[in-house]
Amino acid sequence: MGARNHDVDLAGAGGDRGRDLAHPLGGRRQTGGEAGDGIDSTGKIFAQALSRAGRHVFTSKDFASRIRGGYTAYKIRTSVDELNSVVDRLDILVALTQRTIDENTDELHEGSVVIFDGERSWDAEVPEEQIELDVPLKSLAEDAGGAIMQNVVALGAACEVANFPIEHLDSALEKRFGDKGQKLVDNNQEAARKGRDYVRENYDHDFGYDLETTDNDYVLLNGDEAIGMGALVGGCRFYAGYPITPATNVMEYLTGRIDRYGGTVIQAEDELSAINMALGAARSGARAMTATSGPGIDLMTETFGLIATTETPLVIADVMRSGPSTGMPTKQEQGDLNATLYGGHGEIPRFVLAPTTIAECFHKTIEAFNLAEKYQTPVYLVSDLAMAVTEQTFSPEEFDMSSVEIDRGNVVTEENMEQYMDEQGRFMPHYDAADGISPRAFPGTGEGAHMTTGLEHDELGRRTEDTDERVQQVDKRNRKVETAQREEEWEYREFGSESAENLVLTWGSNEGAIREAMDELEIDVRFISVPYIFPRPDLTDAVEAAEQTVVVECNATGQFADLIERDTLTRVERINKYNGVRFNADELRELITETFAGESEVTA
Amino acid sequence: MSSETQAHFTDFKSDKQPTWCPGCGDFGTMNGMMKALANTGNDPDNTFICAGIGCSGKIGTYMHSYALHGVHGRALPVGTGVKLANPELEVMVAGGDGDGYSIGAGHFIHAVRRNVDMTYVVMDNRIYGLTKGQFSPTSREDFETSTSPEGTKQSPVHPLALAMAAGGSFIAQTFSSDAKRHSAIIEEAIEHDGFSLVNTYSPCVTFNDVDTYDFFRDSLVDLEDEDHDPADYDQASEKIMDFDNIYQGVLYQNPDSVGYEKRLGIEEPMNDIPDGAPEGAMDLVREFY
Repeated sequence: MGARNHDVDLAGAGGDRGRDLAHPLGGRRQTGGEAGDGIDSTGKIFAQALSRAGRHVFTSKDFASRIRGGYTAYKIRTSVDELNSVVDRLDILVALTQRTIDENTDELHEGSVVIFDGERSWDAEVPEEQIELDVPLKSLAEDAGGAIMQNVVALGAACEVANFPIEHLDSALEKRFGDKGQKLVDNNQEAARKGRDYVRENYDHDFGYDLETTDNDYVLLNGDEAIGMGALVGGCRFYAGYPITPATNVMEYLTGRIDRYGGTVIQAEDELSAINMALGAARSGARAMTATSGPGIDLMTETFGLIATTETPLVIADVMRSGPSTGMPTKQEQGDLNATLYGGHGEIPRFVLAPTTIAECFHKTIEAFNLAEKYQTPVYLVSDLAMAVTEQTFSPEEFDMSSVEIDRGNVVTEENMEQYMDEQGRFMPHYDAADGISPRAFPGTGEGAHMTTGLEHDELGRRTEDTDERVQQVDKRNRKVETAQREEEWEYREFGSESAENLVLTWGSNEGAIREAMDELEIDVRFISVPYIFPRPDLTDAVEAAEQTVVVECNATGQFADLIERDTLTRVERINKYNGVRFNADELRELITETFAGESEVTA
Repeated sequence: MSSETQAHFTDFKSDKQPTWCPGCGDFGTMNGMMKALANTGNDPDNTFICAGIGCSGKIGTYMHSYALHGVHGRALPVGTGVKLANPELEVMVAGGDGDGYSIGAGHFIHAVRRNVDMTYVVMDNRIYGLTKGQFSPTSREDFETSTSPEGTKQSPVHPLALAMAAGGSFIAQTFSSDAKRHSAIIEEAIEHDGFSLVNTYSPCVTFNDVDTYDFFRDSLVDLEDEDHDPADYDQASEKIMDFDNIYQGVLYQNPDSVGYEKRLGIEEPMNDIPDGAPEGAMDLVREFY
């Protein structure tokens, strides 16, 4: 890890400092149970309150980097300005165990407020430079109707510390508990007020915060939800999956919603089944997808080759986590680039897309479906844990529905399939077209009956070992990708100054942290963020034009850097992080500066 | 096929000559499938055949319909996806004892209990034929093969019992050379609303000299000749758990079975979507307010 700077004001302008609120719950991670007990849902309520107050929010879940298991924290950054990264500072910490304080000592600074419950059985040891705020969370919650609401009491206390009107919290509580009855909403709102009032009455202190509100309209969502929404909007009607962290949220989002559009979600018995179900649905003519993480990708890889060989359109989302094997299931890593780019025996044509922001998860999912169907080729949509567990605010206009176009490719009907019939009147699903793109006849289409197989096949889809037919079919499948390379846009996203001699490259979710790091970087950099792994933009000119290039990625070996070196025949510097924690803007600012100052091979 | 005229079973035949060994039971198994499909009013354009790997997997090539010949052991999930995405299709999955009860055994159990309306015909020859004669999950315990020189020393899988335990709604067994009964039972399977298992003894004349035509002919007990009520769960259980005899016929059928796709409320094919964002798509965004 790079050195830390606790004094950087990342939110920037106007005296409105970025506020970082951690709200960790010690002890076992709570999943399920009555709403309001889990740390995730409590944190989300506060994030929602801030968002509804017209403030930007960027959240993260911290699963403890140094000690194994059993601890989780929901961290919230908020500002009136756009936020794109986590930082390593905490202004307010709600601690329900000592461990919560110990885990976060590095991020606390002089004047950070630590809220804890002194009536509980542990003696809180709060470092001297921090402000102790002993609030009887549990007994106040009991007064309001139940100990389960102690987290909400803490939210009320935090409102008072941050000088944030509690009415905004009311609205978020209403959203969270409204469908469980007004009584529960009232109790929670009461609990929050007890927390606020306790701080107000017992601590006569100006904490120096003033979380102003705006009239801006924001929505708050995470990367998995953005993928799910993109799928719905992009016409996905069939989802089969097997629960796996951190991809499960895609499936949970689609469940219940996809039905409104005539689709369905199937929880399969394993990933092998999931991808084969999705394949079957796609053969039926549905836009189909599955989402998984690394271990699931491994299991799906055999069928991935079948999908490509049978020229079936399918979208497979890989929400990456730390590997190999079971690895660190709740930790960040971008370790699957090679697996998605090269995975599978034989040579498999494919597309690999890697959205760089949560909003882009939405857009790239739609694009993935169009690419899959236009080119009848499987698409890996590669996201990661950092985006999956982060809730971020966006203007609703970010999700512009009027610009969504659905391109189903060369689907034929009984009326227009004649050109794709052989001399015996048989439909040719693997017709050797000039651009490589064959016709597709959905089952049920008259005169279109045909088979296809994972064996090498002829234009009719029937097994062949004929040398000429083999070469013809391999070439036609590869030609589809060449056509796509030529006809689609594979653009990178660019930030900073184009003429800078220092070039920063990255792929996937690091974009936001790098952008924030650049805000106060003392050197000029050109920053290129690449959302396409295959096909991908040619970066030769950019790399050649730069004095120095550094590739930033969350893995140990520099898989993307290897690709860049291969593509451009130029050595690049590397910044790699693989301890399970995403990059944050503060450390990146230092790492980038160090790298361009000549200290190469930096490992975060 | 135009839907006005009823398809003949030969319409389901492709012009590819099977490469199965002469005398292979799979010829009879396939003929029965084609007859049953035609007799139940299906035609090649509304029929989808899924198959896996093994001698059985070749069936899609020799039949004419929409078909997918996939990876080893995953034909049932493919069929599940096909049917759920278009409930108007007639979906038939074909496999062998290796594909269905070994590498695909996990899917088998879940396909049974999921109860999607499709028909699963397993060509059970109690041997691995395509790889030239290794034991299969249904091979007898003392069956000597190249990979079991002193017998398998394992209890064989009892597919009907597995299906029963998994909550199967239609459990049948046939013999490929009893053409009439075989196709009649598959017809019943097609007409059943839910997942139908038809375990078909389909002898391998090349590698299995134990489970031969003669053996099945001599030992099969046809339920037609017995006073058997397939709707009677207890009677069915008794027959299915009777490992000393092998039966031909519908051993169990749950008359109240409803296909999973109906329980999910899937009514239309999913292949028709708008050419832009669906109406009211902004509501999806507003949910995140």
